[in-house]
Amino acid sequence: MILRNFNYFSREAFRSLSRNRLLTLATISTVCICMLILGIAVLITVNASNFMQHLESDVEIVAFIDKSVMPSQVQLIGKEISTIQGVKRVKFVSKEEGLEQLQEKMGNKNLKETIGENPLPDTYEVQAENPHDVPEIARTIEKIDGIYKVKYGQGVVERLFEVTKWVRIVSITVIVLLAFGAVFLVATTIRLAIFSRRKEIYLMKLIGATDWFIRWPFFIEGLVLGTFGALVAVGILALAYNSLINNMQMVFFLPLVVKSEVINRLYLSLVGIGALLGIVGTFISVNRFLKV
Amino acid sequence: MLIQFYNVSKIYPNGVKALNDVSLKIDRGEFVFLMGPSGAGKSTLIKMLFREEIPTRGQIFIASRSIVRMKRKEIPALRRSMGIIFQDFKLLENKTVYENIAFAMEVIGAKPSDIKYRVPELIKMVGLKGKERCFPGELSGGEQQRVGIARALANQPLVLIADEPTGNLDVGTSNEIMELLYDINRKGTTVIMATHARELVRHARKRVIMLEKGRVAGDYPDGEFLA
Ligand SMILES: Nc1ncnc2c1ncn2[C@@H]1O[C@H](COP(=O)(O)OP(=O)(O)O)[C@@H](O)[C@H]1O
Ligand SMILES: [Mg+2]
Repeated sequence: MILRNFNYFSREAFRSLSRNRLLTLATISTVCICMLILGIAVLITVNASNFMQHLESDVEIVAFIDKSVMPSQVQLIGKEISTIQGVKRVKFVSKEEGLEQLQEKMGNKNLKETIGENPLPDTYEVQAENPHDVPEIARTIEKIDGIYKVKYGQGVVERLFEVTKWVRIVSITVIVLLAFGAVFLVATTIRLAIFSRRKEIYLMKLIGATDWFIRWPFFIEGLVLGTFGALVAVGILALAYNSLINNMQMVFFLPLVVKSEVINRLYLSLVGIGALLGIVGTFISVNRFLKV
Repeated sequence: MLIQFYNVSKIYPNGVKALNDVSLKIDRGEFVFLMGPSGAGKSTLIKMLFREEIPTRGQIFIASRSIVRMKRKEIPALRRSMGIIFQDFKLLENKTVYENIAFAMEVIGAKPSDIKYRVPELIKMVGLKGKERCFPGELSGGEQQRVGIARALANQPLVLIADEPTGNLDVGTSNEIMELLYDINRKGTTVIMATHARELVRHARKRVIMLEKGRVAGDYPDGEFLA
């Protein structure tokens, strides 16, 4: 019974798809364009968030140790820092290493000779599990005896976090709005397709077809249109993104997300969203024609 | 009793009072004309039979079931016990004669083997043998209405409901269609037919319910309508 009906529903769905070629094309294009815009927005967001993570994970704390502190005590301070909650890694940089690093940075081979006695303090470079905890951790480190200064780009870091927070909020809002717009657009196109068959639906109702019997072919149609439109969009996106990765990475110096698991999951979700779009669009549109 | 109307009134949302305190009974196996001038409320009454419209006041029972209290999901079963034919035939232009008739069985989930058996039978019965593969556009008005009748009978309804089925046909073709309807009635199907064609009704010598301005203006048993 159910299998037989399913055969009928699929046959009807595909017959209607091939009969209303223009509307089929219009719906597929609508889904495709919606999914392209949505896909671009998601790709931008994923890359922006990846980029922001890079920026954020670069944030680290440098704790300067008072010159009067004994070397044995320096080690204890290191231990104490590593026990602070949220600290991921603590690295000791002695004043000699510090000077070498400075010399390298400035490209001055004779820096040591020029300045004579090493004016730099011993330091600890501290990384946090979550970059957002950096200010908090820095305040805790500052209170440790023997630390005379803590630096992590105060002010700048807070502003960076503020910016990344807003970028995330805005991009998620944009994506949600785009998704709603897509549902509306697709529903409207599908409504046109259903409208062209309102006489048939009216007849089915008067003959005594159940609402679900009438809905099913339309759902299958919506599913096929949504999936197909999304597939086309994903195809275009994949081509474009791949060529972007191959050609543009150098130009922008941006670390584009290339991990295939991430990208493939993204493409797969887009196809899923397209299918859902087709079904939801049909659901919104079909019911108004069943009120006979 | 198959159909019972008790003090049924219908006022459309725009304020038009299409039916006013209509009471009537129709038994199984009857052939009943709903007569009356255009605007008398015939179509409104017909639409209430298959619950396209519901009464503003009053009660309607079909096979002892209240149409007014009926739940939405019970409507398909009600409609499956009825066959409906229309003045404008309402055939699907992109389906052949065969497909139009099979459609009525498909949409209520009939078995393909039943459809294959029943449709040729119906085509023969309404006299359309040889036209199975024609599209409605290739048929005359009378032939199209025969397809409509075959479709209405596909699911073996208790009652055949017809709203001006001869309204678009010439006199000769009308008479042929009427003969087909009498034939169907003789085999046991109740037939209710709305029409404003006085001449046709007078010749038929069947029961006539006169509607005027939404009221029952007369109910004449078989053969008594002579006006
Ligand atoms: N859907 C509707 N909305 C408003 N008024 C309607 C509607 N259908 C019919 N009417 C009005 O109700 C009255 C009866 O119409 P109808 O039942 O179609 O009569 P008949 O079929 O006898 O010509 C007419 O005045 C008509 O204009
Ligand atoms: Mg009418």
